[in-house]
Amino acid sequence: MADNEEFISEFLVEASESLDQLDQDLVALEKQPHDSDRLASIFRTVHTIKGTCGFFGFTKLSTLSHHGEHLLGLLRDGKVRFNKTLASLLLELVDAIRTFLSSIESTGKESDISFPDLCQRLDEACTTTDTDSLIQQQEPVTSTTDSIEQSNQGNNPTSTPALDEIPKSAVVPELIQSDRPDSVLQTDSESGKENARPTNTIDATIRVDVQLLDTIVDLVGELVLARNQLRTTVTDEPALLDAVNRIHNVTGELQEVAMKTRMAPIDQLFNKFPRIVRDVAATCVKEVSLHVDGADTELDRTLIEKIRDPLTHLIRNAVDHGIEPTDRRTTAGKPPTGQLSLRAFQESGQVTIEVSDDGAGISVDTVRKKAIEKGLVTDAVAADMSTERIFQFIFEPGFSTAHAVTNISGRGVGMDVVRTNIESIGGTIDISSQSGVGTVVRVRIPLTLAIIPALIVSSGNQRLAIPQSYIQELVGLRENEKSHMIEGLEGAPVLRLRNRLIPVVYLDRWLGLREWKKRPHTGAVVVVKVDNHEFGLVIDAVTTSEDQNSHATETTGLWFIVVKAISSLLAPMGIYSGATVMGDGSVVLILDLRGITIAADIPAHARRAVDPQSKDNDFKEVRQEDSRYLVCETHLGRRVAVPLNQVQRLENFPESEVNPAGDSHFVKRNGELTQLIDPDKMLHTSKTSTPNDTNSDLVGIVLPNEHGNKALSVRKIIDVESGRGSLEEIMNDDCLLGTLLVGNAATEILDIPAAIRLLDGKRPS
Amino acid sequence: MNADSTKKPEQAVKQSRCCTFLITDKCFAFDSNLVIEVLQKGVINKVPLASPAISGLLNLRGRIVPVIDLRTFLNFSPVSPSIQQINIIVDIRNEWYCFLVDQLLDVTAYDSHQITPPSNALLDVITGVLPTTSHLIHFLSPEKILKRLLEIKTRTLSVG
Repeated sequence: MADNEEFISEFLVEASESLDQLDQDLVALEKQPHDSDRLASIFRTVHTIKGTCGFFGFTKLSTLSHHGEHLLGLLRDGKVRFNKTLASLLLELVDAIRTFLSSIESTGKESDISFPDLCQRLDEACTTTDTDSLIQQQEPVTSTTDSIEQSNQGNNPTSTPALDEIPKSAVVPELIQSDRPDSVLQTDSESGKENARPTNTIDATIRVDVQLLDTIVDLVGELVLARNQLRTTVTDEPALLDAVNRIHNVTGELQEVAMKTRMAPIDQLFNKFPRIVRDVAATCVKEVSLHVDGADTELDRTLIEKIRDPLTHLIRNAVDHGIEPTDRRTTAGKPPTGQLSLRAFQESGQVTIEVSDDGAGISVDTVRKKAIEKGLVTDAVAADMSTERIFQFIFEPGFSTAHAVTNISGRGVGMDVVRTNIESIGGTIDISSQSGVGTVVRVRIPLTLAIIPALIVSSGNQRLAIPQSYIQELVGLRENEKSHMIEGLEGAPVLRLRNRLIPVVYLDRWLGLREWKKRPHTGAVVVVKVDNHEFGLVIDAVTTSEDQNSHATETTGLWFIVVKAISSLLAPMGIYSGATVMGDGSVVLILDLRGITIAADIPAHARRAVDPQSKDNDFKEVRQEDSRYLVCETHLGRRVAVPLNQVQRLENFPESEVNPAGDSHFVKRNGELTQLIDPDKMLHTSKTSTPNDTNSDLVGIVLPNEHGNKALSVRKIIDVESGRGSLEEIMNDDCLLGTLLVGNAATEILDIPAAIRLLDGKRPS
Repeated sequence: MNADSTKKPEQAVKQSRCCTFLITDKCFAFDSNLVIEVLQKGVINKVPLASPAISGLLNLRGRIVPVIDLRTFLNFSPVSPSIQQINIIVDIRNEWYCFLVDQLLDVTAYDSHQITPPSNALLDVITGVLPTTSHLIHFLSPEKILKRLLEIKTRTLSVG
């Protein structure tokens, strides 16, 4: 019984591969109907499936395959000519068989669905003499049909009734599921093809459980660590030294070979596409021919699975939107058949996959217009953007330039998902296109997820790994170097880099690694980019390679680290994506930059920090120090303080620009009205002292955007001071947090959120 | 002897063994079936921002194992630096975890009939107590400890 289960799961694996092969063969046959070798191969494949089904007692599937086999037999013998209709019919048969197989896989039984209609049409196709007037047979087809059918029946082992009696209870679903066909690694690129045709080369490859391979890879990893330890403690004993060196070499090679077992040719994925292209093209009534290049490019098999959906989407898109209908192509002076090309190649430790078409292309102006329309970018900014950047908007959620929504694509969902999928495996995607000429979508993904290049950084005695795929650049911080300084208010420190402001996160402080005061003034900023968010991580230093570790590329400081999963206890923290073991046996956590972007609220941070106005002189820079409060004097001379995290920026407004409206005042900044809040009114300050200076300007403390467009209006800024002691609460005023010793004087601390609530409550807008 | 075992086969099943250890002067125990090994010392690599009861990560022959400080978890005072704590590696649903304890005592056989439910229902990680001549053994459920730790984390995250 157990043997039978094993055979069935093996059959499912093989059959699913055979079906993929059938897809390919049928699509190819459609182009070259006279390829008799291919036809014979198709016949054999269907015959094998039919035979095996009969053996296991899957009668319905066996019957269905039989109908197909019959037709194929006629085709092979030249009694019926192959044509498009037949191709569609046979592909339909392949899908039907697939439906059966997936039902067997999940339930262990044949499904109740039968395809009487399909069987009937298959039979009809056998007897129809002429569907597309393609058949120019000398002898009448109908007369020979019967005899062939008979001979087929006679040769057929499946009709043995005894085999139908194999009990179906023999099939245990769990066992089959654990052995899913897609988890089987092909160690040889040819094995997929060879399986479809019985040949002698089958002995060259074996099927191995993926888990076993993973264990080998893990064990080799441990061996590498042991070797590294051995090398650090090595003695002067020549014999031992010799042995250690040999172990070193062998381990290195072993690791390389073990890693290769994870690799599989991308062919596994690519050979599904001819069928998809054919089907989509048929639905859109277009002529498309697909060229595949570099199908032997190898990459980690787990990655092949992960790029399946994104690539399928890109290909569907290219056929549906990219390539024009035949008549439009002819008008444009292009050949009627659209060219879609799929190319894969390795390049500097990454795999690049290009999907290019010679279709209508995408107009930069359309995308730009759409982006502005959707409020993704302002007119002025869009004008300066590079074409490449403009095309990136296509990956924004809900962005579609398609005029018509079809059932294949054009709803504006999809491209953002494609990008998210690609980026989640550390890849990138970009589009280049020329209107009327075509579009190229380039996807770059790492070769493997098991070993990644990363920067090992230190921050407050903690070593951390930052995956290289996110890193844009590394900026050194020196105390006296004006160009690379971290500036800005405490709530939003920024790095000024080539006239751009990049929000930064102090890694040591954010991770609570050391006291804020003890942090050194030098260090470095690792500028990273996650989705469209660029930000910097302030670190102490970059750890360069240790001598004994051969995996580090010393020139760049990049390490190739073996990624290990962290426990389910730590994974929910969302800021570490894994861990790696260093040569000395210590564990280094790998930062999950996507998680950090969310946890540190980078988008909000960036909104606060990056403001086109900030280059102006009236922007009062406050150095990042141990400061907490912005102390200022109100128009009536009251000393108040605002928590610094409630301060976006400071601006001077000439009194002439302040416009009263109702009982509040507004000032125009950046083309928008900003409401001015007078702390005196808020606090009901009585006139204690009259301002004696004749300063016609007032200082606006611009509040964070979350409060709307609002600014506190004060007479002057005294200083930024840190508060000491504990906050004395004042019970009778809603707008005050309390009194605190700030600088050297007791100061009232304004409660900005409460004040805003009070203000908005009074005058709902 | 032979007759005895055939007469009461279920008693042989219920006769279990546990791994006992001390935290301060209190005695605790894990089911010894769960214990994979005991390490005299291990280098613990800190995990920033992890909950206080998680001391860090241990590299156990290439496996990365989280270390749980039972003193912190059970609300005892922090360990003095002079004490070298013992690492007990436990398998919880095929994942390995390391528990820090003060002193390893013994692996003792016990009869599950003798275990009484814990008096303090608040600490659901203690599944039962067993009085012996020298100690009162508190049985700990590693799985419940893990569950508690995951709960703590989600709570603090939702607040912060």
